[in-house]
Amino acid sequence: MARTSMDSSGFAIMTLVRRALVAIGAAAIVAAVLRLRGSGGVPPRDGGWRELSGPDLK
Amino acid sequence: MTRVAVVGLGALGARAARQLASTPGVTEIVLGEPDVHKRAAVAEVLGPIATDAEWSADDGLPVGVADCDAALLAGPAAAHVDQARRLIALRRPFVSTADARPTVQGLLDLGDDASQAGVSAVVGAAFSPGLSCALVRHGATWFDAVDEVHVAWLGTGGPACAHQHHRNFAGSALEWHDGAWIQRPSGSGRELCWFPDPVGSADCYRGDQCEPLLLQPALDGVSRITARMAGTRRDRMLARLPMLRPPHPEGAVGALRVEIRGRRSGATDTAVLGAIDRPAVAGAAVAALATVWAGEGRVNAPGVGGVAVQIEVLDFLTELARRGIRAAVFEGSSPVS
Repeated sequence: MARTSMDSSGFAIMTLVRRALVAIGAAAIVAAVLRLRGSGGVPPRDGGWRELSGPDLK
Repeated sequence: MTRVAVVGLGALGARAARQLASTPGVTEIVLGEPDVHKRAAVAEVLGPIATDAEWSADDGLPVGVADCDAALLAGPAAAHVDQARRLIALRRPFVSTADARPTVQGLLDLGDDASQAGVSAVVGAAFSPGLSCALVRHGATWFDAVDEVHVAWLGTGGPACAHQHHRNFAGSALEWHDGAWIQRPSGSGRELCWFPDPVGSADCYRGDQCEPLLLQPALDGVSRITARMAGTRRDRMLARLPMLRPPHPEGAVGALRVEIRGRRSGATDTAVLGAIDRPAVAGAAVAALATVWAGEGRVNAPGVGGVAVQIEVLDFLTELARRGIRAAVFEGSSPVS
């Protein structure tokens, strides 16, 4: 059956919407990955915590 | 002989009232809380030193607060600015445990009114802000000049604190950067911070915290002040939504870490201080002690400021240590971040 001009414009709109949704989805995934990933810190290699007392509180 | 009012009897307020009850020199604690059952329960636990005062809904304060030597505002932060205005009008010193930046800014804006009225007030007197500011101010005395201050916080106290923690990831973080205030997105700037043992490491992110606002006036010439708080990916992703489940009545162990970079003896150096405790317990001790000092006139000057500005922190930390709230210093040669 031949496609009418109404069918044709509806098909084009649906294609546009579908592409827009795919683009938004891809952007959201990229943004989420960028937001969530990160580099780790550097752990202390020596030393430690000591309670503040005596001379520290003078 | 000090008569104090405690306004708000949540996780922090109730503990602060208990701290005050065991403080020498405190002769009466006026309990202010709209929930009569909660008020009666706390009054029963504290015994004869507590007065179960009638709540004035018009003032948002307990009846009889005008006769107190100082008031501790430990209720919902949204009411603190109005309560503070009334206390300034009554010429009563006060301490606020507010941890919401708009509220803290609103309280700091009352500084001129407080100065004119001769009222001394301490704002942000809890765990973070509060103990964090005291640690920074104390660590700063080890330097000839302080260049940078970076604060990190882990954990929450009561439900109100947990809600504020949730909101902090949704706003924008205020930072002091080269002599100007800048806004950065909350939840950004991931940094692995190492807290005192046994808490250890936790990922921390920028949050809408009050420390930069409260510390900047206390540190001449400082070029950077940042604040971060520990959070999970879920905390950050869901920050703009309502909390999906009610918070626990009280959080587990929390921790603080402050890093101070500056110059001493002609060289650049870094000092790292920290503390661990349950935030509501440590915050209550800070708030109670600040309230006693405000009532005794030991706060620095009329006006409104944070712990770092208004309180002599050396004696303050010594007294907190005596009460079991102990700070620690990191000693090591390798970078800690």
